[in-house]
Amino acid sequence: MSARRLRLAAVSFLNARPITHGIERGLVGKGRFELWFDLPARCAEAVAEGEADLALMPVASYAAARGELRLVPGIAIASRGPVRTVLLLGDVPWEEMETIVLDAASRTSQVLVQILGRARGLAPRCESAEHDRIVDLVRGRRGGLLIGDACFAASRRFAHVYDLGAEWTARVGLPFVYAAWAGRPDALAPGDVALLQESLALGLAEREAIARGFAEPNRIDIETSLRYLTRNIHYELGASELCGAAAFVERGHQVGLFGEKPALRFYANEARPRPAAARLSPSLDGLLSEAAAGRRLSFDEGVALCASASLHDLGQAADARRGHLHPHGVATYIIDRNINYTNACTTACHFCNFHRSPGDARVYVLGEDELAAKLRETVDLGGLQVLFQGGVNPDLGLTYFEDLFRFMKSSFPLAIHGLSPEEIRRLAEREDLSIPAVIERLVAAGLDSIPGGGAEILDDEIRRRISPRKCSVGTWLEVMREAHRLGLRSTATMVFGFGEEPRHVVGHLDKLRVLQDETAGFTAFICWSFQAEGSRLPLQGDTSATRYLRMLALARLYLDNFPNLQVSWVTMGPAVGQVGLRFGGNDFGSAMIEENVVAQAGAVFKLSASEIEACIRWAGFSPRRRNMRYEWIE
Amino acid sequence: MSFARIAGRVRKGAPLAQADGLALFAHPDLMEVGSLANEARERRHGDRAYFNRNLHINPTNVCVSACRLCSFSRRRATDAGAFVLGVDEAVGKLRACLAAGQRPSEVHVVGGLHAGLPFDYFTSLVAGLKTTAPDITVKAFSAVEIFFFHRLYGMSIEEVLRRLMAAGLGALPGGGAEILSPRVRRLICPNKCGADEWLEVHRAAHRLGLPSNATMLYGTVETLGERVEHLLRLRELQSETGGFLAFVPLPFHPENTALAELPAPTAAESLRVLAVSRLLLPNVPHIKAYWVSLGLATAQTALWFGADDLDGTISEEKIYHQAGARTPEGLSADEIVRLIRAAGRVPVERDTFYALARPAAAKEAP
Repeated sequence: MSARRLRLAAVSFLNARPITHGIERGLVGKGRFELWFDLPARCAEAVAEGEADLALMPVASYAAARGELRLVPGIAIASRGPVRTVLLLGDVPWEEMETIVLDAASRTSQVLVQILGRARGLAPRCESAEHDRIVDLVRGRRGGLLIGDACFAASRRFAHVYDLGAEWTARVGLPFVYAAWAGRPDALAPGDVALLQESLALGLAEREAIARGFAEPNRIDIETSLRYLTRNIHYELGASELCGAAAFVERGHQVGLFGEKPALRFYANEARPRPAAARLSPSLDGLLSEAAAGRRLSFDEGVALCASASLHDLGQAADARRGHLHPHGVATYIIDRNINYTNACTTACHFCNFHRSPGDARVYVLGEDELAAKLRETVDLGGLQVLFQGGVNPDLGLTYFEDLFRFMKSSFPLAIHGLSPEEIRRLAEREDLSIPAVIERLVAAGLDSIPGGGAEILDDEIRRRISPRKCSVGTWLEVMREAHRLGLRSTATMVFGFGEEPRHVVGHLDKLRVLQDETAGFTAFICWSFQAEGSRLPLQGDTSATRYLRMLALARLYLDNFPNLQVSWVTMGPAVGQVGLRFGGNDFGSAMIEENVVAQAGAVFKLSASEIEACIRWAGFSPRRRNMRYEWIE
Repeated sequence: MSFARIAGRVRKGAPLAQADGLALFAHPDLMEVGSLANEARERRHGDRAYFNRNLHINPTNVCVSACRLCSFSRRRATDAGAFVLGVDEAVGKLRACLAAGQRPSEVHVVGGLHAGLPFDYFTSLVAGLKTTAPDITVKAFSAVEIFFFHRLYGMSIEEVLRRLMAAGLGALPGGGAEILSPRVRRLICPNKCGADEWLEVHRAAHRLGLPSNATMLYGTVETLGERVEHLLRLRELQSETGGFLAFVPLPFHPENTALAELPAPTAAESLRVLAVSRLLLPNVPHIKAYWVSLGLATAQTALWFGADDLDGTISEEKIYHQAGARTPEGLSADEIVRLIRAAGRVPVERDTFYALARPAAAKEAP
């Protein structure tokens, strides 16, 4: 493969120029690439027809290819809010449009306008037309969907202009991904991903020149085109973008626009973790304000903050950072149900008082009927997901979970957020399968995402002391890496109160950050203090509210590539949970449906959801329900 | 007025006005308000956080006042659950506490408005406590009780106070202030003394050299304007007398009260009230985060939002626990010290007057 040149098809719009810049100018991979430009839909066709190895293609085209493609990690054309170049134009408001002429150049935009229309309760007739003719066809009750650079001039000519990037983010709470590099799994040789990322890095540094070069011939002002490349469009394919893309695929599938909803899978990421930028200020205050502004902290800086910054300073910096990452003033929560399918466990961690040894009279395994009743109740109460975790029960093999997940999926519209790394690792050992093989089978049976439990403190020395039989740091991370590669999203947790020092805490955060740089697969980080009551292991160190708030704030500052931080009101109490929304948290976690709710279930649930909303409001945010992707739910 | 201008005024030591108070309550950034209050708190108290060893005694829950905010009181002495402690019984609680090796520096006494007790009962109670432990400060009877005594026994407020002081009364607690607004008092405690009368009792006490605290019950039916007005009225009296030691904002606990349909104030609101209090009351030395009503977590966090005092060990708290408080009824001094240290503050044990302040001993470290 590497012997011949890699054929790249890229969109011809201004927004793709930073991505292709290094290649176009021959600054990277000289002789390795052959690049040409076309309209988005044709880029995808080129890959399908074998004319190109890799194309900068719309997400809709990736979805339509039914999982046969891989994405290049880290690179996308995306927006979080107004994009300026995906517009619905009309003489009349959207509500009054009878027909919308779709731009044949972009399948993604066609799907997007229909998803957003349906969300408004609108389903105008759709017609397709060539890119160049759209503007002329818009008249009266016929609106038009226009994409690309033509939007700059066209937007001034119509009374009603809807920016679909802005519409999407305002409704869903996530970025929208317009295009990403995709190709067949075997298309790339080692080193190609790094070259593509380098090309973008060079392009990002040259955005001003690119904007200038575009502005004059196209008769738009330089400020507009530069703002477009620096504010409207961004080029990162991070965790939020992946969730946004997955939300788009899912919504498209729901309204019948995609037959399949393939997982977003990647070529291996060759990029090294981003290093911390040089520190500008020697003082703790300076460090905090730089971290608040988004500068990546080094390990030593993290330790310094953990050890020395005051509660209030950490909180304020974290709150500011949270505000940058979540500027809409929204705090989210989810309605789900925690189902512990068994309490039998051979891992027997010292801090755990839930597990029973296999053979113990108090061991249970939930039967299908019991499970069905719980799931029915969850659905009735508006739940979207179950958190499905157990002990490590040696009696339960892979087929148990496959059967159970198939049963759950066949009868209930619930997402399965299940099986922590320890459970998956033990299944792999039991079945003598590789970890990815186990995950693939679980996914085929219905697993949607993986909870981040069992991380405790990611330090082997501490783990040997508190949970000697649980998976090592390396294995925990490896399971997450494999899951992310297979297109699953997961969360990550940390439990403190095991006698850890600042270097252990920051070490834990650092390991998560490094993996996240590679996979972008973590949606959220959650921490809480060790609940020592009834446990064999004594509490070590401070687990009071203020330590929790410090941990939360530190995590918000250190984990710059984690989009979301959940507060843990279930363990820390609602008051601390609420205050946590001002110490870096942007999500109130789960309105957990009580385990044994019967007749009063409705009331219990209603109260707790409304209490959660009240907590969120009083902390100064608007509450929104979400799913596991942190996609807002109507 | 913008937040920056308010911050400027605070830093210059200029007093804030009603509009500033409202702006601080409305300011969207809680952390900014908290930070400004923390600045004011640290300027005055550095890293110190105060607590005391105290004992609560409630001599009776029989009360003619029937406030809608209360779940502690019983209307008549014959109602189920009604009690009146005999003087010996009440003093016995202090003796038991001393016998158990506790070393309280203060007894806090508040009770219902019982129309059937002689005034002697109260003077004997104070005297009994004082003779049992002469070094202990008896901080007793809210302004509402003092005013009730004045009416019931036909004595001037000064006379009531003088006689209680003669028996050994050392300070007045700050209770019964609720919200110093006729409108709010009509709605939640119509039979309690009025706002002017509450202030009059404290003015009289301060003139007689009897220091006191002041509270504010927030989260019932008051407007933000009424909260600010409350704080400003306290500031005004303080600038006249200088007799307030501490201000204690109290979140309303609706459970078991006639106002049970109201939502309880949340932690974020409580932190803001504490912070705004610190900023609006520059002439009141201490802002107390009363852990019983706030919960330990919020009280601990409040040490970074303007508060410098957590109150004390208490031993047997009854009033808030009737209203569903889930905090313990008492804490050991070690536990309080641990909470303060964990919050990154320096624990200082104090007496009622914040006079005998001493750093907590090292042996009390966790």
